[in-house]
Amino acid sequence: MHEMSIVQALLEQVAEEVDQAGQRGRVVSLHLVVGRLSGVHVDAIRFGFELLSPGSIAQGAALRIDQPPARCHCDRCGAAVEIAEIVSACPVCGHADIIIRGGQELLLQSIELEDEDQAGEASSSDGWIHENRGSKEDPEGQ
Amino acid sequence: MKIVAAKKILKANDQLANENRAAFSGRQVFCINLVGSPGSGKTTLLEALFAQWGQRCAPAVIEGDIAGQVDAQRMEQIGVPVVQINTDGMCHLDASMIAAAAQNLELTGVTMLWIENVGNLVCTAGYDLGEHLRIVALSVPEGDDKIIKYPAIFQRSDALVLTKIDLLPHLNFRTAKARADMQRLAPEARIFEVSARTGQGLPELATWLVERRAAAAPSRS
Ligand SMILES: Nc1nc2c(ncn2[C@@H]2O[C@H](COP(=O)(O)OP(=O)(O)OP(=O)(O)O)[C@@H](O)[C@H]2O)c(=O)[nH]1
Ligand SMILES: [Mg+2]
Ligand SMILES: [Zn+2]
Repeated sequence: MHEMSIVQALLEQVAEEVDQAGQRGRVVSLHLVVGRLSGVHVDAIRFGFELLSPGSIAQGAALRIDQPPARCHCDRCGAAVEIAEIVSACPVCGHADIIIRGGQELLLQSIELEDEDQAGEASSSDGWIHENRGSKEDPEGQ
Repeated sequence: MKIVAAKKILKANDQLANENRAAFSGRQVFCINLVGSPGSGKTTLLEALFAQWGQRCAPAVIEGDIAGQVDAQRMEQIGVPVVQINTDGMCHLDASMIAAAAQNLELTGVTMLWIENVGNLVCTAGYDLGEHLRIVALSVPEGDDKIIKYPAIFQRSDALVLTKIDLLPHLNFRTAKARADMQRLAPEARIFEVSARTGQGLPELATWLVERRAAAAPSRS
């Protein structure tokens, strides 16, 4: 199960990013992007995180994990359809002349830190305290 | 406060892999990462290819296994320089293991460095090792549904080698289906059908590899 190695790499990366940003606040949540065809199991990531994060900078952080679909491009009808799992025919016209792309993302999208001036303040139950700070990043970016 | 990272989680591995690749290229060594299920015929394919080339190719091999030296011993028996990596239970090789193993290999004069990855269709997919070419071996006894069951590794390979095709008469493996599934996932990938037992399909694969090597690392002359 390589999700353990992935969580290990993730925790190192979070520490590095926080350090580079010159921050030291508690990590409240992590936003990950795990494509549907990446071969990485989200449950195993959560399990690994529970196991490995205690004692790290991300201890207790909430995990938000987006699972972008892959896209099926049809040579016959031209459809480009999002698919959550592999297909062997075009979902629109049923022809087999398709190409499947994407869905392989494995990204650390963002890290939400507790503001130092709010350090005493309790964060909301789900750990999201800055929902209003317009954060519509493109989850693709690979 | 929010830090937008938008970076690959395995970027540290990717960076190291790029360093490996640059080091191999700098030494005119063409590196191939061979992946596939346990027992898919990876080591046998290497033996057959090296026999096919004879003196025309100077290979070296990094053998990745969870434990044991068996595959490394097979390479030693045919006189191919080899380093064994034991991952102690880890299900894949990563770029740092390759960097360390390469230190223990005399690469001078070597033209092709093969990495036989740990037998695994899932975990090997996400780890770039610094190879120039990734080849996935699928043995026909495994069944023709493996490509759609384990899409990630097939999507990210430059070639699919269907191995053990001498066994096709005994199986219900649909080669056409396997080819079609692979083309949907990796339209640019090449597909070969090979039997190490009978030698069928080996020359085509051997020729393509030599061409790819020439294209990637033109000789010094
Ligand atoms: N019939 C037939 N059997 C083959 C062929 N190639 C390999 N085998 C057999 O398949 C078995 C496994 O082959 P290996 O080359 O050891 O497979 P591998 O992928 O290196 O195995 P691991 O390193 O353990 O993952 C052996 O018994 C081989 O003799 C082939 O072309 N035809
Ligand atoms: Mg082997
Ligand atoms: Zn269609």
